Amino acid sequence: MTAQIAETLHYEGQRLSMCTEPLGDYFALGGLNPGFESNCTALWRGYVGTWEIVGGRLYLIELHGTLEGGGEACMKTVFPDFPERVFAHWYSGTIRIPQGKQLEYVHMGYASTYERDLFLDIEKGAVKSTRVQQNGTAESADAPEGYGVGAMTIFPPREKDREDAP
Amino acid sequence: MIYLAWYLAVGVVVLAVIFIAHRLSKKDESQSLSDLLDAVNPERKTLQYRILNNIVAPVVAAVLVVAVWPVAIVMKAKEIFSKKTDTATEEEKKFAVAQGDLLEQLAITEIEQRELVVDPMNAVPDLPFGHLHPAWAKFLEDVGPEGAIWSFSANWTTTWGRKELRAGYVVVRGDSIGPHFLTLWKTLDGI
Repeated sequence: MTAQIAETLHYEGQRLSMCTEPLGDYFALGGLNPGFESNCTALWRGYVGTWEIVGGRLYLIELHGTLEGGGEACMKTVFPDFPERVFAHWYSGTIRIPQGKQLEYVHMGYASTYERDLFLDIEKGAVKSTRVQQNGTAESADAPEGYGVGAMTIFPPREKDREDAP
Repeated sequence: MIYLAWYLAVGVVVLAVIFIAHRLSKKDESQSLSDLLDAVNPERKTLQYRILNNIVAPVVAAVLVVAVWPVAIVMKAKEIFSKKTDTATEEEKKFAVAQGDLLEQLAITEIEQRELVVDPMNAVPDLPFGHLHPAWAKFLEDVGPEGAIWSFSANWTTTWGRKELRAGYVVVRGDSIGPHFLTLWKTLDGI
């Protein structure tokens, strides 16, 4: 599995990469899943969400994805009555936000490690606590800063069509 | 000498059978698996690795099969047997609520009252379970006249060893436990 493109989180005036997928929990709990299609190995889930913490609550504020069959997905596709903002009350868990320079690149999931991890503990969509975990210091000053994906394979539409064909 | 010739001839036949069986059962390496293996072992892309893996190793294996074919037969049989066992154990366990997970029986109105979601930015429907209300409504269709709804909380370990906490509501009919509706699905051992 290739390293995955992160979700985006707006938190305390910063735009951060978030290595957690709260919308996956929504689908697992029975929320409407329109059926996303992956068009590259770095995005098996088929969408990227933008999230925001306001007043200690987690909100989904943007969604871009590809639907099975090739159509584009947005907020309205999953939450037809809430196209601007969705309170993620279904989510309980820990959000991981890697920070600082990269310590080790792992070409799989969100397995790469960084100098720090900011963790947000969420209960029913509300932030209960935050903590920072120090993972070490990058040996090289040239180490990449912030979360990134090293390589990916883009699936050409023609190839996908061939695979879908009976 | 004639015994040796017969022995080697049988070895060639065994080699042919194993080769055909291998070709028939072999699946191409998927891209994702290839990515994973390349990441774990970057040497896979080198010419030396390819020569060893694609030419030298098969030739050595073929010579060994012809030379000690009784061992090859035993190994192939073991491989086939272990594949069947692996397939049976690799399937993910299906989550099910157990009697010991049940907490309390509740009326639908009581549940819907306690599961109302309020948001100061009005980013959630004013309905029980908020954005998950359609899933709850679908769950209620399966309750039936004989069913009672209980809350539950279960510690669950997946086939892969991940520890999870799952909670929600479940239909109970007499001693049997029916479909469930999850409100919490949380990994317990970090992320």
